[in-house]
Amino acid sequence: MSRGVRWSALGVGIVFGFLLTASGLGDYDTIHDGLLLEDPYIFLMMGSAMAVAFAGLAVLRRTGRTRYAGRLSLPHHRIERRHVYGGAIFGLGFGVGATCPGMTVAMTATGGLLGLVVLGGLLGGLWLRGWVERRQQQPVSTEPETSAATRAAVSSR
Amino acid sequence: MFDLISGQLPWWVAGPGVGLCVVALYGLINARLGVSGAWLATIAPVEGWRPEPWRRTFLLALAGGCVVAALLGPPVRVHGYGRLSEVLPPIALIPVLLLVGVALGYGSRWAGGCTSGHGMSGCAAASPDSVVVTATFFTVAVAITLGLNALTGGLL
Repeated sequence: MSRGVRWSALGVGIVFGFLLTASGLGDYDTIHDGLLLEDPYIFLMMGSAMAVAFAGLAVLRRTGRTRYAGRLSLPHHRIERRHVYGGAIFGLGFGVGATCPGMTVAMTATGGLLGLVVLGGLLGGLWLRGWVERRQQQPVSTEPETSAATRAAVSSR
Repeated sequence: MFDLISGQLPWWVAGPGVGLCVVALYGLINARLGVSGAWLATIAPVEGWRPEPWRRTFLLALAGGCVVAALLGPPVRVHGYGRLSEVLPPIALIPVLLLVGVALGYGSRWAGGCTSGHGMSGCAAASPDSVVVTATFFTVAVAITLGLNALTGGLL
């Protein structure tokens, strides 16, 4: 991993974690009140994040280049059944637990130590899906999805 | 601890800030910011494949950023799990939270991403799969939350 890549992941990760926590997304009530449609905060935050990122990517597309990784290739994937099934199961966890993989880290850092139980389950769930895919003789899903080459490299392990 | 940030950042600071994180990661290293992918990288050795090296750095940095915000924010107290820990006794709460985690992990791997990977990064890139995943999980989460609220007579 080049220095540029490492520092990029480090910098963006710190800012991202900071914002998740300082916006109270690690707090059960913030998410729960949002999902009860009583507090618009999470939808305003998510919406403004999408809008800013959408605008930023429009600028980025014009240059078409990235700083440390060559040509820009943004994800564009067609819809498959797994997106609905996986999304629905994820939504079940999101609804009951009022948290997600990132927010749980914020929760744990701010003293919500039961977040560790969720994180344990999360790792188990990730592993379980891989186990099911191996049993179905599929290549296991990883999440880069940036290039077909990566997927091929992974499945031919 | 230091109480430099009191309460919650306004959405119009946190939202655009997170949006810029997404743009930055694409623009710097051509990567889709996603937390479930970062967690997935931690179990890659168990499954015998090599994740992209930046993912573990990202996860550690994310945790570091959370800790920094916690230190700068109001005093950190060890606390329960919101209304869920008021309604459920510990013996029921732990298995429920474990299952919540399993659903998050299983679902995000099946769908290929979570709130950050699909919800923000993928949607911002207008990737059709991300729009479908995001619409699905938000709809299900709202329906489950409203349903549990009705079933428990407003307790949850």
